[in-house]
Amino acid sequence: MAELILTRNFDVPDAHTIRVYRERGGYQGWEKAKGMEPAAIAEEVKKSNLRGLGGAGFPTGVKWGFIPKGSTAPRYLVVNADEGEPGTFKDRYLMERDPHALIEGMLIAARAIGSHLGFIYIRGEYVQPWRILSAAVKEAYDEGLLGKNIQGTGFDFEIVVHRGAGAYICGEETGLISSLEGKKGWPKVKPPFPAVKGAFGQPTIVNNVETLACLPHIVTRGAEWFAGLGTKTQGGTRLYSVSGHVVRPGLVEAPVSVTLRQIIYDHCGGIPGGRALKAVVPGGSSAAILTPDEIDIPMDVDGPKSKGSMIGSAGIIVMDETVSIPDALMVVARFYAHESCGQCTPCRESTGWIYKISHRIVEGKGRKEDLDTILDVARRGAGTTICAFYDGAVGPYISYIEKFRSEFEELIRNSAHA
Amino acid sequence: MPKLTVNGKEVEVPEGTNLIEAAKAAGAEVPHYCYHPALSIAGQCRLCMVDIDKVPRPQIACNTQATEGMVVHTETERVLETRRSMMEFHLINHPLDCPVCDQAGECFLQIYYMKHGLYDPRMVDEKVHKPKAVPIGPHVMLDAERCILCSRCVRFCDEITHTGELGIFQRGDQSEIGLFPGTALENKYSGNVIDICPVGALTDRDFRFQVRVWYLDTAKSVCNGCARGCNVEVHTNRHRPHHNQGRRVARLKPRFNAEVNQWWLCDEGRYGFKWMDDKSRLTHPLHRGGGEGAEVSWDRALPELVKRLQGCPPDEVGLLASPKMSNEDLWALRRLAEHLGVRNLDFRVPPSAPGDEDDFLIRADKNPNSRGAELIGVAPDPGGRDAAGILRAARERRLKLLWIFHHDLAASGWPEAEVLAAIENTETVIFQGTNANDVSARAHLGLPSAAYVETEGTFTNFQGRVQRFRTAIPPLGESWPDWMILSVVGKALGASDPVFSAERAEQVFNALAAAVPAFGGMTYRALGDAGRMVTA
Amino acid sequence: MTVDARSPEFGPEHLAEVRRLQGLYPDKRGALLPVLHLAQDTFGYISLEVEAYVAGFFELSPAHVHEVVTFSTLYFQQPTGRHVVAVCHNLSCHLLGAKGIIEHLTQRLGVEVGETTPDGRVTLLSVECLCACEQAPMMQVDDRYEGNLTPEKVDGILGGLR
Repeated sequence: MAELILTRNFDVPDAHTIRVYRERGGYQGWEKAKGMEPAAIAEEVKKSNLRGLGGAGFPTGVKWGFIPKGSTAPRYLVVNADEGEPGTFKDRYLMERDPHALIEGMLIAARAIGSHLGFIYIRGEYVQPWRILSAAVKEAYDEGLLGKNIQGTGFDFEIVVHRGAGAYICGEETGLISSLEGKKGWPKVKPPFPAVKGAFGQPTIVNNVETLACLPHIVTRGAEWFAGLGTKTQGGTRLYSVSGHVVRPGLVEAPVSVTLRQIIYDHCGGIPGGRALKAVVPGGSSAAILTPDEIDIPMDVDGPKSKGSMIGSAGIIVMDETVSIPDALMVVARFYAHESCGQCTPCRESTGWIYKISHRIVEGKGRKEDLDTILDVARRGAGTTICAFYDGAVGPYISYIEKFRSEFEELIRNSAHA
Repeated sequence: MPKLTVNGKEVEVPEGTNLIEAAKAAGAEVPHYCYHPALSIAGQCRLCMVDIDKVPRPQIACNTQATEGMVVHTETERVLETRRSMMEFHLINHPLDCPVCDQAGECFLQIYYMKHGLYDPRMVDEKVHKPKAVPIGPHVMLDAERCILCSRCVRFCDEITHTGELGIFQRGDQSEIGLFPGTALENKYSGNVIDICPVGALTDRDFRFQVRVWYLDTAKSVCNGCARGCNVEVHTNRHRPHHNQGRRVARLKPRFNAEVNQWWLCDEGRYGFKWMDDKSRLTHPLHRGGGEGAEVSWDRALPELVKRLQGCPPDEVGLLASPKMSNEDLWALRRLAEHLGVRNLDFRVPPSAPGDEDDFLIRADKNPNSRGAELIGVAPDPGGRDAAGILRAARERRLKLLWIFHHDLAASGWPEAEVLAAIENTETVIFQGTNANDVSARAHLGLPSAAYVETEGTFTNFQGRVQRFRTAIPPLGESWPDWMILSVVGKALGASDPVFSAERAEQVFNALAAAVPAFGGMTYRALGDAGRMVTA
Repeated sequence: MTVDARSPEFGPEHLAEVRRLQGLYPDKRGALLPVLHLAQDTFGYISLEVEAYVAGFFELSPAHVHEVVTFSTLYFQQPTGRHVVAVCHNLSCHLLGAKGIIEHLTQRLGVEVGETTPDGRVTLLSVECLCACEQAPMMQVDDRYEGNLTPEKVDGILGGLR
């Protein structure tokens, strides 16, 4: 059984309090980092092969380095706690059960990038986690771990906890920034990139909750150790959110070398009733769907990619033989239509259209051109939009139809409008 | 100044130039909706994609700056296919309103579909429905279904007028342009959103259903509503006189001039053309003999005018010129005054209320040529009377002839009673202007002026910029340009100045430029489309 | 101070809170979402009058506040019931019976999705992923998540809502 790192405090009573957190070794990463050179911290994180765990999987240490050298502008550390990718719930657990891990991670990151003001953008629906997190932030202030001249180091760091108001697109880095600025959550045209010109016009680093929660461990136990836990291109363990047709849905912490098969069958008890696996979403609904013959892959940033999908937010949704894939596509298409921000034309117009088509197919009114229309429209829009939201929609649009085409065709054959 | 290559052609552009402008400099058109040079970059329409060497995917041109050595392709197969895709996306929910939409003929969905689309539509599901034909302000009509959500109008209200009336509400394909409920698009520049809207979502209430744009002719001109002299295009309907309620001038549109009005026009200027086709236009000379005015020919009116002028001692003649007159008109008048020895010459009649002014385009002086009148010396000679003095002299029966140009004196800042008394107490009152008013009704001779759109000439704006206006339509009825009336009168009086034998406005202007140093060296050709500053 | 959403006015404590929130951000506009949450908690929902009132604190045109409010699912532009029940209908919950839970709720409450019971007790909504998929099918009842739903469990929860 692999060592629990990110989840080490999850089942410990009161571990969300600073007292218990510290008793269990918490804030020792900050103790060390506060005496390190910012560049040294960044170097450690680079060597650790830590990748962004929110969905994009970008090397964290490299991302920090995008703030222009020599810039004296105030820079902001923004935590993306707007967890919204269907199938994902790991950040919620972290904030409810181990909020100080996030705060400590923020302190370390802030020191590394020279930030004195951090924002935690937490989705509005997460009310209980918000309360717990806010209490933890207050505890950190009370203990002198946040605010001005922290522990006499001369380092200032303030944290503002900011609740969202219900929009998946506010989980997109620049959509989040727009919303943080008090505007509607429209992602921003890039360039400029946030590290150059982000929140309130200043250099900004946006990191996921879980990514930051890894930092105390990297600092205390070393980059090499962290890198060694994983694969060649990605270090550490991560939290896999597993749901759908499994015996034990929930969080699985495992080194990133774990395979999808191991997660489903070893960690989560396989499929109830011994039914057969039909399909599995490996990285949140935006990831292309995988078939049973494609699950012997490591669940790092490269594994699902090798099968044309992505690890994304590591939200795993398991579908057994009873599932109608056209029905699943309709549900997913409805999600993208509802969450499209509407800013740019290809996404705004086609997410709604494709939902209408997929709904029509499920209702028994499909037409024989429908499948090729969806595929062609999706391909024409992919890569043309302001942000990757549409590419996330394209993942399911194309993979569900390409991998289960006969199921769709049967519905259409039997429809009144074929 | 980076040098880049567009479609194989090398071009040098200023630092910070985006690729839409750089391509334009190289002679290539990059289709776009949301980009506008006056507004912030939105990057929303995704139509302006171009291929750039060493960049794997097409990039939007509006948000990409030209750099040294960049190699750009605007017509590759991939770019053309991307444009076709973007056209399809734009038309998915667009209502096919063309037969009833005013934008037809100047609609960029039509234009770009014909050029870059030409696919067979395959959307068979119900389109999204939104409010249609919603008046959102005194001048602007909104059709939210037609809107392609380019956000130009929203950005205009935020960045140019700073009034923020418009927003894009909801999200996804439910997104909708609109006002905060209970408000209206009431800023003084609201009509500009009609120009910048690429489609028929924001249309002109005044122009609605009047005439199809392909019947319109266009002439370059200058607004005469205030001293700014915003550059305009006059759009006229001559081919379908049964449309547009028979009015010849259909609408005014702003014309770009970086130094004067950029891309914009205020609403008052935009809609200030109704007088041109109004029933109150004077179309024939009028000779009032014993009560009713009778329409007469110029052959009758001119000798009458000359006779009355010859019968007046010069100090008993008052000339109230108007800063609505062109430089050419005013030059001819001044020359005539000199020939007659008349010293009572001025143009400064006070307005009934101070004009509104803002820190953008609108000037308090609601006349296009006050500066021209100053420079040309439309002022009393020493010993002569200014405008107020002329009015007083008329009231006190010390003038035998009062020649009023354009002014609606009874509606001016002078008390109406005094004006009417002045008219009453003067033996000969001549009114020369475009539209009838209370004073013209009482004048002994009424001379019909051609409207400025019916002739050509120049105005000098408050900055000292001399700008040409060109003939858009022939003069209404028997109206003549002011300078021509004055020229014929002068000739009949035996004046020899070249002005009095001019047959074209340009000749008058050339005479002006030769005589008044401020206009020195100017010619119509040199003025071009953007005008030139007077010599200080 | 009034708590009427038709003529909203913050009392001195809330005004101080607005100022405090605005001071947390490099540009006070960043406090717009927190102030809208405060306004919704105070006035019950975000009416047009509340939008215009809030706009005044930020020197924003009401249109731009309206944009944020209509963009976000958690700002209610109409009064809601005393309780808001939002059932997730996204993929994992759908696979595990969300449709049945929703149908059960519409029957029990006698309203369609999006409506409020005539007695003003419950507003029923059907929403996208609340990120509690391990408890599918699940719903959000006011501030808390309720998961692993069965019709019986739902009845028990409804019984506790006054």
